[in-house]
Amino acid sequence: MNDLLPALPMLIPLAGAAVAVLLRGNFALQRAWAFAVMLAAFAISARNLWVVWQTGQPLVFQMGAWAAPFGITIAVDLLSAFFAFMAQLVFVFGFLYALGAKDKAVRHNTFYPLFLTLATGLTGGLITGDIFNLFVMAELMVISAVVLTAISDDKYGAEAAYKYFLISSVATFTLLFGIGGLYASYGTLNMADLAERIAAAPDRPLLAASVVFLAVTFAIKSAAVPFHFWQPDFHTASPTPVSAMLSSVVVKLGVYGYIRLSTLLAPQATWLQPALIVAGVIGVVFGGLGALGTHNVKRMFAYSTLAQIGFIFVGIGWGTPAALAAAVLFTFNHALIKSAMLMLSGYLASRAPIKTAAFSVVRGTGKYAPLAGVVFFLGCMALAGLPPTNGFISKLALFQSGILAAHDRTIESTVQLWLPLLLIGVSGILTVVYSFRALMRIWWEPFEPRSPEEKVKPHGDSLLAPAGLVALCLILGLWGQPLLDLVQDVGAWVVQPERYIASIALLR
Amino acid sequence: MDLIRALAIGALFGIGLYQILRRNVIRVAIGLVVLSNAINLFLLSVGAYEGLVEAYAKAVGQRSDALPQALILTAIVISMGGFAFVLALIYVLSARYRTSDNDEVTGLSH
Repeated sequence: MNDLLPALPMLIPLAGAAVAVLLRGNFALQRAWAFAVMLAAFAISARNLWVVWQTGQPLVFQMGAWAAPFGITIAVDLLSAFFAFMAQLVFVFGFLYALGAKDKAVRHNTFYPLFLTLATGLTGGLITGDIFNLFVMAELMVISAVVLTAISDDKYGAEAAYKYFLISSVATFTLLFGIGGLYASYGTLNMADLAERIAAAPDRPLLAASVVFLAVTFAIKSAAVPFHFWQPDFHTASPTPVSAMLSSVVVKLGVYGYIRLSTLLAPQATWLQPALIVAGVIGVVFGGLGALGTHNVKRMFAYSTLAQIGFIFVGIGWGTPAALAAAVLFTFNHALIKSAMLMLSGYLASRAPIKTAAFSVVRGTGKYAPLAGVVFFLGCMALAGLPPTNGFISKLALFQSGILAAHDRTIESTVQLWLPLLLIGVSGILTVVYSFRALMRIWWEPFEPRSPEEKVKPHGDSLLAPAGLVALCLILGLWGQPLLDLVQDVGAWVVQPERYIASIALLR
Repeated sequence: MDLIRALAIGALFGIGLYQILRRNVIRVAIGLVVLSNAINLFLLSVGAYEGLVEAYAKAVGQRSDALPQALILTAIVISMGGFAFVLALIYVLSARYRTSDNDEVTGLSH
């Protein structure tokens, strides 16, 4: 039973989803069950993170007891454990929001099973040690997210789902091409085995093409430049709990993929890291400007995700242990902040006369939601990176790692270091502009109903989940040392791929 | 034989990509199917264990690599589910927007 523990964060939501389908006749029981399942999975992923961090040994599990590299490996090293913990922590709050949401989509009897399979796909993709299993899990995630959007209350839900599904299908094909190329060249699908064989023979003809295909896949998954165009449409139309999960943790599968690609699978692909820096800087600038030009709160935060993913990419592109640690810390903090902000925009939409987060409708409605204003203000501070929130610590860590790399001369090129540092520093100010402009429009401007019978609804979605997330942001901002220690260990771990490879060697 | 397979993969990939970029929603769906078959053919032709033993046996008694077949089977199942779902989505879209043109499905951009 103990051997099964590394795989349980993935298996519990999967089994729970199947049971939740059977419970579709009893809605109250179904949602209580789904929430309990998610809590159980989260408890186990927290325990896994703790064990891996304390022992310094990865947890591994072979599906069906087939020996590695033939069976499907679940390999939970510190990076996987940390990402899975982050994903499930945010998912717990996502369920909490869904429990208190007033959407019709949330009352659909397929909502909770699909939400659980979304969590399964994401967690499975993060903890699997088998690259084809990554494809299967990514597909499960995409299909769940698309169906959840298609049943949205928004009348454009089907359109958003169609667009997302088409672009994800392209990502599926590029991922399969990458996997096929790697298998043809190296004859294995196990990530550790693959890394070992690539290091031994880095000149096989299909390797470069496969790495390009994988890089494109992860760019689409993380909605990075130039594959960001699906994200604003999708997040505007999907139900709030879903868009909060997608914008915060589901895009992080691409981030995880890039960390694995640049440190484990293809460290010799020297074009990848400069490419990440370029994509990241363009993302930061373009995302910030895009967020300024939007007319919908949810759309604004979708563009903001593009900018924040850009910061993470620059960290991965620098590639030093400190920069990778900063990127991982940024990933975690952004997941908390962005899910809280999207939940708050969903809350505003649920209170507005017409159910939408467009500025023209929600303008001035904040007067009737003072508590949400406090939470929104603190969230804006965290998003813009102002102390005393966790957003400040992650931005500080990122800039510090860049300056440290210049000081130690680990990165010599000015174009790779100072130019990105300057550009993301200046564009970071855009975050302050757009987030506080939204705050001013919603809370400070007067509410002007377009007809006399238009009134702000007295009750909306529950504020518990975003308030909890923002409280976590504040706690991690004031008392961030344990998290900093943890991400430094993660950074040290990822630059030593041999530790990951050794864990699979034990299973042969 | 290798050349024919390579040309077939290239042709299927080209056709699929061209159809996916067309404006008609049905053509887009057909493009998805053609593309997924291009990839299945690619997996079958190159999927030999370290380039040595092909994924399909040619002679009696020869053992072939079973893994590409398993990959293709999984990919076929997943793409079939995706295709069915995209057809359902197209049905909803064409009923709601009264069009079969991708460029007219633009409710979200204004």
